[in-house]
Amino acid sequence: MASSFLDRENTIAPPGYNRFLVPPAALAVHLSIGQAYAFSTFNLPLTKVLGITHSVPGDWNLKEIGWIFSIAIAILGLAAAVFGRWVERAGPRKSMFVSALCFSSGFIVSAIGIHYHLLWLLYLGYGVLGGCGLGIGYISPVSTLIKWFPDRPGMATGMAIMGFGGGALIAAPLSVILMNHFKTASSNGVLETFVTMGVIYFMFTMIGVYSVRVPAEGWKPEGWTPPLKPPPLVTQAQVAVDVAWRTPQFWLLWVVLCMNVTAGIGVLSQASPMIQEIFTGRVTPEMAAGFVGLLSLFNMVGRFFWASTSDYIGRRNTYFVFFALGIVLYSTVPSIGYAGSIPLFVAAFVIILSMYGGGFATIPAYLRDVFGTLHVGAVHGRLLTAWSVAGVLGPVLINYIRQYQIDRGVPKAQAYSVTMYIMCALLLVGFICNFCMRAVNEKHHYRAAGKSA
Amino acid sequence: MKVRGIILWLAVGLPLLWGVFKTLQNAMKLF
Repeated sequence: MASSFLDRENTIAPPGYNRFLVPPAALAVHLSIGQAYAFSTFNLPLTKVLGITHSVPGDWNLKEIGWIFSIAIAILGLAAAVFGRWVERAGPRKSMFVSALCFSSGFIVSAIGIHYHLLWLLYLGYGVLGGCGLGIGYISPVSTLIKWFPDRPGMATGMAIMGFGGGALIAAPLSVILMNHFKTASSNGVLETFVTMGVIYFMFTMIGVYSVRVPAEGWKPEGWTPPLKPPPLVTQAQVAVDVAWRTPQFWLLWVVLCMNVTAGIGVLSQASPMIQEIFTGRVTPEMAAGFVGLLSLFNMVGRFFWASTSDYIGRRNTYFVFFALGIVLYSTVPSIGYAGSIPLFVAAFVIILSMYGGGFATIPAYLRDVFGTLHVGAVHGRLLTAWSVAGVLGPVLINYIRQYQIDRGVPKAQAYSVTMYIMCALLLVGFICNFCMRAVNEKHHYRAAGKSA
Repeated sequence: MKVRGIILWLAVGLPLLWGVFKTLQNAMKLF
């Protein structure tokens, strides 16, 4: 009985269904899995599991704990790629349910790992199981939303993917509140917080599981007809996922996403020490935490703003803005640092982070424009491997180049300048790839018989 | 349908608003 409730056939919306009931379902999932961005709030407490108030010999160190998040993000990309077709077939309800099971059990397995002090259980729990939940959950509502909002696909997916950015804004203070609540003389509260969060996120995702609906075959918004002459790069044909990923367009978009994410994720991972080192003595750790919060907020807002804007100016033009404006901002950051202007520095980075979020949120609609709606969720899943690569590349570039500069005697305040210029070069590569985007060759279009010509 | 819509939007909107408020509170330390 449970399986029939989860089946795609039982999620088909009745006539007259209000499509604006679907975005909250998507948001419920993304707000839950977006917790991943706030995992760093557990880093320090996890180094004090044995010592409770301070680290003692035998406690895990930050380097070992850092791998939990890295594994989760790597598995996110892989799971989205591997399970993309299954998500398309199974429908949003079943995939959201599986995502909730994986993500929540990831917390529970990790809690067992904390109890027995076995780090590999945290790698397996939050890293692998949780990562699968992240990947499946991330793509689960995308194709459904695109089908419900053929007139505004950017806005619809932007709204959902905004939830992934927003999830961190909820999880960061929630984790702190829960850890303080559960703190006792024999526990620093992190184990109990993991169990509680596993339960909370499972229940919260159920809002999405129960309320998600797919439109009936051939459904269109009232009064809307597809444009007779679609804009350039927007196709009304379909490309199957196994064909799509072999086209140059897929790999151009892969590089576009990878470059955009690399430029943003490196900054996000090092934002706190970066602002403190560039403005030495003027920015306290508390102020730096405020800066990180502001970046997270703009990361979230940018997802909705830029994806919605792309419905009006086109996806390709939106990415042109990301890359061109990104190059201008990154190249001026060193000068702003020398000038010592904190407000200008903050303004530059909140815009950069809004475009980082915007890149994530606009890509599903870009894929729909180029490959059609047939397997857009599965194609999106495969493209997310770019995120896994960028998740390693961005922080590594920032960290290693900074350290290399410092080792060669460059003052800490100036150690980020070279990195900023490297980010400009990466964005230029993205700009060129976006410039090279053309419509998919007709020979790749899906035919009714089930084959590409 | 209308009531269901309001409940759904509140269920996801309120936690998000709380998160935004907490983040803004934190961000104020920057200025």
